[in-house]
Amino acid sequence: MPGYKLYYFNVRGRAELARLILHCAGVPFEDFRFEGKDWPAIKPNMPFGQVPVLEVDGDKMLAQSYTIARYLARQHGLAGQNDWEQSQADMYADCIYDLHGIMRTPTWETDPVKQKELFDKVNEETIQPHLEKIEQHLTKNGSGYLVGQGLTWADIAYYAFFTTPIMTRLGSEVLTKAPHLKKLIELVGNYPNIKKYVETRPVTSA
Amino acid sequence: MPVYKLHYFKNPRRGRAELSRLILSQAGIEFEDIRFAHCEWPAIKPITPFGQVPILEVDGQVLAQSNTIARYLAKRHGLAGKDDWEQALADMYAENIHDLLNAVAVPFTEKNPVKQKEMYQKFMRDVIAPHVAAVEKQLKKNNTGFLVGNELTWADLAYYAYFSDFLEVKFGSAFLKNAPHLKALIDRVKDLPNVKKWTEFRDSTYPEENE
Repeated sequence: MPGYKLYYFNVRGRAELARLILHCAGVPFEDFRFEGKDWPAIKPNMPFGQVPVLEVDGDKMLAQSYTIARYLARQHGLAGQNDWEQSQADMYADCIYDLHGIMRTPTWETDPVKQKELFDKVNEETIQPHLEKIEQHLTKNGSGYLVGQGLTWADIAYYAFFTTPIMTRLGSEVLTKAPHLKKLIELVGNYPNIKKYVETRPVTSA
Repeated sequence: MPVYKLHYFKNPRRGRAELSRLILSQAGIEFEDIRFAHCEWPAIKPITPFGQVPILEVDGQVLAQSNTIARYLAKRHGLAGKDDWEQALADMYAENIHDLLNAVAVPFTEKNPVKQKEMYQKFMRDVIAPHVAAVEKQLKKNNTGFLVGNELTWADLAYYAYFSDFLEVKFGSAFLKNAPHLKALIDRVKDLPNVKKWTEFRDSTYPEENE
């Protein structure tokens, strides 16, 4: 088993997908969380001045959140059974990358009234149309999972996005018209390793 | 050989489909390069997986998301990296470029020319300059002339597409003056016979309206 050290701030943010993948696969790793004040000292050692970064066996570093997640998924049986399935999983993960991008503005809005307005706008304009497509894909695939017959990091990415703090707080109606996805997210959340991690992880604002 | 059909807008003529076109061209693979007018989009949009393009049709099955398509093609045609770790490094560089494409969209879409000029200056100083310095460091460390391992990967094509075919064309080479390794890499990719053949064909066949 390689030695993994995952560097990130003490929030869920862009490292949470990698953490969930590692926990789901039962792979031990050092979940190195640091505070904002420590960042200036760490930043110069990161390949592109950003985190998350995955350090492997003490000397190789990998940057970029989705690259890290994909690498770990592939190493630990959560990527898909063949090239085509792996690409399907990549595709769904890229959709979540886009949704996280659009959710940034509401997430960082400090006025709660304005935040709810922005959240509702993003939901109506982007998330709901996307969910319509996802429901079609899930129905067509027929296994309950997004890709092939079993769990992949694509399912975990959807789980992570639809259980972020802002989604949990403001999004109780978001999955009303997406029963298949709702069921999938509950399924992922009930995987014993994920359930255990989520119950014991640090409680953070993002 | 599978039948590839790549669907994207006519304009921009490069946009988010260009990396895949470069990968296919460099690998010498034939593909149908479908470019549709914006007025056709309302009819096409509902039949795409997520209401977006580019999409890649492979023998009747459809893949969406520009980097997913690029990665799939790179893997199938020897441009992804030699092992899992190299593939991950190539992914990392491609994800860097994906972030940079999203970041430049902000000044790119600014309508006020005075504000736009300011935004571009800030972008080059605050986003591009530090990134160029970081990549230069990695290139020196890898010491092969390529971003990943000792061979061309789609990561090099992605950096060429962004830094040479886009930023250098737009702003000139001054921003690369302290990055001789990056400059050498993008010049080298630019002159690869298959890349050159593609860009010459593209520029003489498709009118440029906006990038």
